[in-house]
Amino acid sequence: MASEKEFISLLNQHQKIVYKVCNLYMDRHSEREDLFQEITLQAWKAYGNFRGDAKFSTWLYRVALNTAITFFRKEKNRPAIYSTDIVPDQPEDIFDPIEEQVKAMYAAIGDLSNIDKAIVMLYLEDYSYNEIGDMMGITANNVAVKMNRIKVKLKEETQKHLATT
Amino acid sequence: MELDELKYQLKNKLSTDHAGRSPEDIAILLTHKTSSIIEKLKKSLWIEIISCIIVVIAFGYIGMAGNYQSLRVYFSVFALLSVAFLLLFIYLLRRISSLSNTTLPVKGNLQIIVNIIEEFAKRYFQFTMALIPVCFIFAFLVGYNEPKSIPQLDRFAQRLFSHTWQVIVFIAMYMAFLSVGIYYFTRWYLKKLYGKYLVRLKECIAELTEE
Repeated sequence: MASEKEFISLLNQHQKIVYKVCNLYMDRHSEREDLFQEITLQAWKAYGNFRGDAKFSTWLYRVALNTAITFFRKEKNRPAIYSTDIVPDQPEDIFDPIEEQVKAMYAAIGDLSNIDKAIVMLYLEDYSYNEIGDMMGITANNVAVKMNRIKVKLKEETQKHLATT
Repeated sequence: MELDELKYQLKNKLSTDHAGRSPEDIAILLTHKTSSIIEKLKKSLWIEIISCIIVVIAFGYIGMAGNYQSLRVYFSVFALLSVAFLLLFIYLLRRISSLSNTTLPVKGNLQIIVNIIEEFAKRYFQFTMALIPVCFIFAFLVGYNEPKSIPQLDRFAQRLFSHTWQVIVFIAMYMAFLSVGIYYFTRWYLKKLYGKYLVRLKECIAELTEE
């Protein structure tokens, strides 16, 4: 099918988006794999409605975030601290303060609610408050208020994470 | 450090675990089945639809070929009710298929999923509750008015009860306890299946709504 080929090609080019969402929402590798599959299937199901009036990347973010937020899985014993196994740790003798800060903030992002995670993800991707509002279904003003609150929270939580390491 | 100062590094860190999938891998993924809550609801509805079809055929047959009038009336009415429920389940299935759409904004998508689950749970509950009078009261009435005597049933009643009032009290208590049991069991079952999930989705909507 031509549209299937077209979809596979587009998803192949933009698969980094799906990986980012999976990394943000899931701790374990197996859970990330499950979510990747679910996002791919949901995107394929919805692809018939994609008219190209928005960028494919924006459309894919919307599908991926909707799927991740509503992803149904049984609660398992989840680790208290968000997994930071994405980047292998540097050897202990090399202490990089920036890297430590990044790790701590990454862990703090992992502790946010599903909604706040989505907002942070879109903010990191340089979407404007208007665009984030469109994707989340809220006003730009509400996004700005939430973003300010999230930044304060992340700063505090990062300090806590740094203090415990 | 603030979020903005680490923006670039965080962005990189999020996309580092990127094994990469080939177009062939993605094509294989498309042959798999989704595990979303909407798909689970659709699967439940398909099971209900198939069960209804089996009930309509089997009970319709007994309704036409049964030996006793009470059985014929009871199973015919049950078969007709199942046709009504079959239509209801098909309507729900079509509604769920038309409403589920992941390309909506997050808040709209969450609200639609909540509406779908609540409507499904409501109809499922109504369906189960509607069967209680059919199963018990109607069965009792048609059985009571059966012109032919059923020897097995008569022998059973004579062994257990010596007065008619005892039979009536026994049947009334049996119906009452079973009805209350089914009512609470169905509520518990639906809450167990979708309760936690609904709470989680509603929390997300509330979080998005608050300024």
